[in-house]
Amino acid sequence: MSETAGLIAGILLLLALVIYVFWPENAFAAQRQKTQLDFLLERKEQLYENLRDLNFEYRAGKYPEEDFQVQRAHLEAETAQLLAEIERLQRA
Amino acid sequence: MAAFGSFALIVALALAAYNLLAGSLALRLIATGQPTRISPERLADTARRAGIAIFFAVSGAAFALVWATFANNFSITYVMEHSNRALPAAYKFAAMWSGQEGSLLLWAWLLAGYGFILRLTHKKDVKLYAYAGTILAGIQFFFLLLLNFAATPFSLFPGPTPTDGNGLNPLLQYPEMVIHPPMLYLGYVGFSVPFAFALGALMMRYPGDKWIKITRSWTTVSWLFLTCGIFLGMHWAYAVLGWGGYWGWDPVENASFMPWLTGTAFLHSVMMQEKKGMMKQWNVWLIFATFLLTILGTTLTRGGLVSSVHAFARSPIGNWFIIFMVIVLAVCIFTYILQRDHLKSEHRIESLVSRESSFLFNNLVLLTACFVICWGTLFPILSQFVQGTKVTVGPPFYDRVAIPIGLFLLLLTGVGPLLPWRSTSMKAIRRNFVLPVFALWATVLVCLFAGVRPWRNGVFNRGDFYALVAFALGASVVTAVLSEFVRGARVIAKQTGRNMFSSTVQLARRNTRRYGGYIVHIGVVIVIIGLAGSAFNTSSVAELGMHSKMTVGPYTLECVGFTQDSNRDYNSEYALLNVYRDGRREFQLTPAKRFYLASDQPETIVAIHSVPAWDLYVVFEGTNPQTGQPIIKAFLNPLVGWIWFGLAVIVFGTVLALIPSLNPAATSPLASTPRRISVEPPVLKGGD
Repeated sequence: MSETAGLIAGILLLLALVIYVFWPENAFAAQRQKTQLDFLLERKEQLYENLRDLNFEYRAGKYPEEDFQVQRAHLEAETAQLLAEIERLQRA
Repeated sequence: MAAFGSFALIVALALAAYNLLAGSLALRLIATGQPTRISPERLADTARRAGIAIFFAVSGAAFALVWATFANNFSITYVMEHSNRALPAAYKFAAMWSGQEGSLLLWAWLLAGYGFILRLTHKKDVKLYAYAGTILAGIQFFFLLLLNFAATPFSLFPGPTPTDGNGLNPLLQYPEMVIHPPMLYLGYVGFSVPFAFALGALMMRYPGDKWIKITRSWTTVSWLFLTCGIFLGMHWAYAVLGWGGYWGWDPVENASFMPWLTGTAFLHSVMMQEKKGMMKQWNVWLIFATFLLTILGTTLTRGGLVSSVHAFARSPIGNWFIIFMVIVLAVCIFTYILQRDHLKSEHRIESLVSRESSFLFNNLVLLTACFVICWGTLFPILSQFVQGTKVTVGPPFYDRVAIPIGLFLLLLTGVGPLLPWRSTSMKAIRRNFVLPVFALWATVLVCLFAGVRPWRNGVFNRGDFYALVAFALGASVVTAVLSEFVRGARVIAKQTGRNMFSSTVQLARRNTRRYGGYIVHIGVVIVIIGLAGSAFNTSSVAELGMHSKMTVGPYTLECVGFTQDSNRDYNSEYALLNVYRDGRREFQLTPAKRFYLASDQPETIVAIHSVPAWDLYVVFEGTNPQTGQPIIKAFLNPLVGWIWFGLAVIVFGTVLALIPSLNPAATSPLASTPRRISVEPPVLKGGD
C-alpha cells in the first residue's frame, strides 16, 4: 500500500469513526439513581445467601449443633434488622 | 502502511482525549444537575462511543504493523530491527511485541479491547460504567500519547531502505514466545478494568458493593491470564535459557509476580466485602496497588532501570511511566481522602480463629511476600541512589525469605476453608482438622521413610527440610479440600439419591466460585510440590567423544553422533545421545546450539525428556576448541512436570469459578430458604 493510499484509508477510518461517535440518537441507556433501598435489597440477597451457606455447611457436618445455632441466630438477627429497615423505607 | 498506522494512532489519541474530557464533563454535569444546552446523557454517550471507536483505530494501527512485517517493509525502522525475510510466519507475528514500540502497541490494543467490551456492556449499570469508561480513557490516553510521541512504531528508517532486517532475537524464536507476552499483557492490562471500576465507585460514592460483583469476572480473568503468562514465561526460561531452572528471581519476573500477589490477595479479601461488608478500604487499596504494580513492572521493563534478560535498553520512556505512576497515585490518594468515610466496614473481626481472620492472614502474608520482592527488586536502584554503588540482591535472598512465606501461605490454604465464618469452637476445630492433621503426619513419616531427611549425619539440610514441609502441608491441604468436596457431595447424595460422582458435579455447579477456588488450591499444591522437587536436583557435565558415556541419576548418556546443519535462518550443531537406563536403551536426545545468521546470535536448544517423577534435561554447552568434541551438561530435575500440570489444574479451577453458579431455586432439594424471619426491629434493652 502506497503512502497516499494509506492516508486515504486513514481519512476514511476517521470519517467512519466520527460519524459513529456523533450519530444523532436520542435513546440513551438511562438508569435511575441507585437508592439506599436498592442497596439494602442487594444486601438482603447476600444475607440470604449467607444463611443458605450456613445451613448447607451445617448439614455437611462442618458445624457442631451449638455453633450452628449461635451463627444462625446472629445472621437471622442481622437479616431481621435489615428487613425492618427495608420495610420502613418502602412505607416511606 | 506507515502513514495509515501513524494516522490511526493519532485518531485513537484524539478519541481517547475526547472520551476523557467529554466523559468527565458529562459526569460533572450529571452530578451537579446544572442545566446545559446539550444533554449530559447525550454527551456521556458520545464519550462512550468514542471509547468504543478507539478499539477500531488502534486495531487499524496494529494491523498496519503486522501487515508491514509480513510484507517485509524494512522502510519502517521497527520492522527492520525486529524481523527479516527468513523469519517464519508465526515469529513475524510475534515480532509485533518483541520490541519496545510494538509491545506498547499490543498493550494499547489489548486495553482498547477491554475498553470496547466494558463500554458495550454499559447497560448493567450506566453511571458506574460511565465513570469506569472515563477513567479507562485516561489510561488509554497515556499509552496513546506514548505511541504517538515517545515510542512511535511507524518511524521510517533514515536513509535508503535496507534489503533485509536484523531479525528477531533468537531467544524469542520459540513457540511459547508467540503466546507468553500476549498472555502476560492480557493479565497486566486486564487489571486496569477493576482499577477503573474501584476508582469510579469511590469517586461516585457508589452505594453498596455491587461494583465488586460486576468486576469479579474481570479480575478473575485478568488473574488467570497473568498466571498463565507467568507460567509460560517460566516454561520458556526452562526450555530456552539452558540453565536448568525456570525461575531466577530476575527483576522482570519479579515485576510480573508482584501484581499477581496483590491480585491474589484481592480475590480472597473481596469475599469478605461481599459476604460481610468488611475490608472495604483494604480492597480498594489492593486493587489500586495491583494496578500501580503493573505500571511499576512496565517501568522497570521499559525504562531499563534494572538489568534483566527481559529489559529493553535504557530509554526516556521510563520517565513517562514514572510521571504516570505519580499522577495515578496522587489521584488515588486524593479520591481516597475525599471519600474515605464511604468505606466504613459493616462488621469487625470477632475471633482470630475464623474464616475472616484466615483471609486477613492470607492477605498479610501475600503482601509481605510482595513487599520483600519489591524491596529486593528495587534495592539496586535504591542502593545506587543512597550509596552511589549498585548492590544487586540475588536468588539466595529471595529463597531465604520467600520459601518460608510460601509455605506459611500453603498452610493457610488448607486451614482457611475448614474455618467457619465469624468464630470457631474447639469442637468444630477437632471435627474439621482431624483428617488433614493425620494426612500431614502420615506424609512426614512416608517422606522420612523414603529418604527425605532434613538432618543427615547431624547436618541440617535446609532444602530437604523445606521439601519435607511442602510435601506434608501439600498432603494436608489436598485432604482438607477433598474432605470439603466429600462432605458437600454426601449431603446432595443423601437428598437426591444421586451417586457420589454426580453429587460432586452438582455440588460444584451450585457454587462454582467456591469449588472452582478449591480446585485452584489443589493446583497450587501441585505446583508447590513441583517446586519443592528442586531440592533434589542433580547435574553432571562431561566432554563426550564418540561412544563415550556420562551418568546422571539413573540414566547413562552415550554420544553416538555430532552433526552440523544449516538453513537460511540459522546454522546449528547438535549431538546425538542414546539414553540408557538399567543397561537398556530407552530413547535418544538431540541437544543443539543454533547460530542465527541475521542477528549473529547463538541459542541453546535444550533436549528434555519429561516423566512424572523427573525431567532429564540435556544442554549442548558447545565444543571444546582443542578436541572439537561436544560438551554436554545433563540435569535430573525431579517433579518439574508437576509445575506445568498444576497450572492446568489452576486453569481448570479458575474457568469453573468463572461459570455462573446454578440458581438456588434450580437446586430445590437443597435450596434451604431461610426460615421466616421476623421483621420486628430488635428491641434495644438497657439504657439507651
